[in-house]
Amino acid sequence: MILFELKADSRGLDELPSTGPYATYVAGHPDGRITRRSSFNFGAYQGGIAGFGRVRVFGDEIFTPSAGYNMHPHHNFIIMAFVLKGALTHINTLVKVDTLMPGDYYAFSAGSGGKHCELNVEREDLNVLYLWMLPNRLHAPPSYARGRFDFSSDKNRIVPLAGFGGGLELRQDLKVSRLFSDAGRAYPYPTRSRAHGSYVFVIEGEATVDGRTLGRRDSIALAEADSFEIAAAHDGADILIVETIRS
Amino acid sequence: MKKYLCLGCGFHYDEALGLPEHGIAAGTLWTDIPDDWVCPDCGTPKHRFEMVEISY
Repeated sequence: MILFELKADSRGLDELPSTGPYATYVAGHPDGRITRRSSFNFGAYQGGIAGFGRVRVFGDEIFTPSAGYNMHPHHNFIIMAFVLKGALTHINTLVKVDTLMPGDYYAFSAGSGGKHCELNVEREDLNVLYLWMLPNRLHAPPSYARGRFDFSSDKNRIVPLAGFGGGLELRQDLKVSRLFSDAGRAYPYPTRSRAHGSYVFVIEGEATVDGRTLGRRDSIALAEADSFEIAAAHDGADILIVETIRS
Repeated sequence: MKKYLCLGCGFHYDEALGLPEHGIAAGTLWTDIPDDWVCPDCGTPKHRFEMVEISY
């Protein structure tokens, strides 16, 4: 069953300049800005879908050179970031300074409290996907881990990045996977149970999911199925799958 | 007693504990907190908190 389909252009759009009321929140040169496309309600964008299962935030963000979020606190949420383009400098209270490149991702479980700062210190735009999940308990000890999706060895298979399928541990009934595929291949995705739902987001290329054609940055949410199929239409189709308990 | 999570940063308010350091006594119900109250960590307005049933 398809719960909703979200076209790239119908996502929320927030422009966060480094000047004016955002000056304490957004770092950078006066021309610096962050452009945030939100799949779910977040910040000023409140006109859409509230969330999906345990997911509350799914942000597709572009940081211009020098832009970033100044140091700010978090609690409880499990925050994942997936670098798509550019380099992310991540200064945080758990591992100090970390640099993530395309394919790299982190899982920061804020738990009882942590702070971080995320910057683009390079001369090209930075594109990051952010995924925020509710935790399964409040005020757990904070944790930080990182992983890497390898576009060569991880090609043409659905690779678990975090959660119950393998990869980084998540304190939640949730699984994040990624598929980087050549054209003309199809993949069954067996779900953990019919109580789980899946949010499928096309990072690059075009894919057919459960019979629906999705373009770049389009997404779809599916539920109440034992499995569904993802087919790659073009070489380099890059797809993120978030499977979550829906209750 | 209920708990509410800030959807801007994850800060949570527990009715049983209140926020004595911010002038809200233990046992204060969410509905008794003024509508113009904001998250002390990130400034997110009260209406963008979500009631959660997550234990410690």
